[in-house]
Amino acid sequence: MAALLRRTLVLLAAAILLWALVAQLNHALASWRIHVFTGGLFVVFAALTQPHRAGLAAVLLAGLVCDAHAPVPFGLHGLLFAAAHELLFRVRNRVPRNDAVVATAVALVVNLALFLAISFTQIHHAPVPSAAWARLLMDLLASQIVLALVCPWWSALQARALALARVPRFDIA
Amino acid sequence: MPFKRIDQARPFATLAVIVGGWLLVPTAAKTFLRAGFFEFTAPIPVAASRVADLKEYWSLRLHSKHELIEAGQETAHALAAREFAVQQNAALRDEITRLEGLLRLPAFPAHRPEHARVALRDFSGWWQRIIIRKGKNFGIPVGAPVVFAGGVVGKVAEVRATTAVVDLVSSSAVRLAGVVEGDARPVSYTGGVNPSFGTPGGLVEALPLDVVVTPSAAKRLVTAGFGGVFPPGLTIGTITRTTGSAEGLFQTGEVKLDERLGSLTEVTVLVPLDKP
Repeated sequence: MAALLRRTLVLLAAAILLWALVAQLNHALASWRIHVFTGGLFVVFAALTQPHRAGLAAVLLAGLVCDAHAPVPFGLHGLLFAAAHELLFRVRNRVPRNDAVVATAVALVVNLALFLAISFTQIHHAPVPSAAWARLLMDLLASQIVLALVCPWWSALQARALALARVPRFDIA
Repeated sequence: MPFKRIDQARPFATLAVIVGGWLLVPTAAKTFLRAGFFEFTAPIPVAASRVADLKEYWSLRLHSKHELIEAGQETAHALAAREFAVQQNAALRDEITRLEGLLRLPAFPAHRPEHARVALRDFSGWWQRIIIRKGKNFGIPVGAPVVFAGGVVGKVAEVRATTAVVDLVSSSAVRLAGVVEGDARPVSYTGGVNPSFGTPGGLVEALPLDVVVTPSAAKRLVTAGFGGVFPPGLTIGTITRTTGSAEGLFQTGEVKLDERLGSLTEVTVLVPLDKP
């Protein structure tokens, strides 16, 4: 139980670090009206390499952190992240999950799905949906570029954080 | 084989349990959780903002004395102009009070300006908001108007212990009553058109047909001050293009907002004063 809690806390701490870094990036990019969304990064490492309970708990809590700072129904990010985690967990034995390129490709697909899901829940607020989609397309492009660049480093950082906390990375319960 | 199928379905069963459980959680508990998660992570952007302030301070310390003297002279000129404006403002205020007394008009709502540093800007295609470094600790209420040198910034959407979240005027969450400068008829403004690398914008509806706007003769849109929280006369943006509405009674128009909305570092919250 203690090991499970420790694993969850390490993953959550890493997720909060990612949220903070992305928030600072978006703060800097605001003057160009560009926004980066990296929901896929919150999910992929936990879903591909971690035990079910710890990964799911960490992903759900990371989603709630995102929810607390967004004007969406509380739990939207959390439930979407959890759904993505469950889908990935279901198929993870069929993908070479230790390959950084594969992990990045999976993160890109998951990020695209999460971005579209959140966009469909928010687009009805826009007074001109066609103009909003043009903007969202640019944001998606920027998000995918950033995610592709960051994903290998981010996976390595989480693996290193687990090692530092003396939690074995592939201890699948 | 059935055992394997059940095992494969386990993640989805877990997800169903989570979704079901989440739907049963009372709204009060969700509100408490949201506030908890926000307050738990709020020190991160605030600390980053303070570090940025410190960096700016030390970079300013590197300026030469000559540059400081020049800046001091420019500040003295600006102060002189401001003092003259303050005197004029006081005379106009007295005149308004006198006319309100004569005509028995209700007084405009009074505000206390509360200056606040911006801790975090979030300018996505879904929403546009900022977090400022003042909250309940400075008596900031939900719905208070937020302004800057360029006009309207937005409205306070959430107030936390030491921070507040402001919905920007470019966000579709903000609706305002406005008037075209020089015209008394109210129009409806809503934010929400924010192209990447472009100027933030919004839409104006119920614009009278006789208001003629061309790209070369754009019109300034200002707050109307009718029933809302914003004082009258604050710049919302510039109406740059109009088109006839479907029913033909009014026009709709595009509003260009201030470019600086995406790079705000300091704003002023107008805290309503209680009437005596």
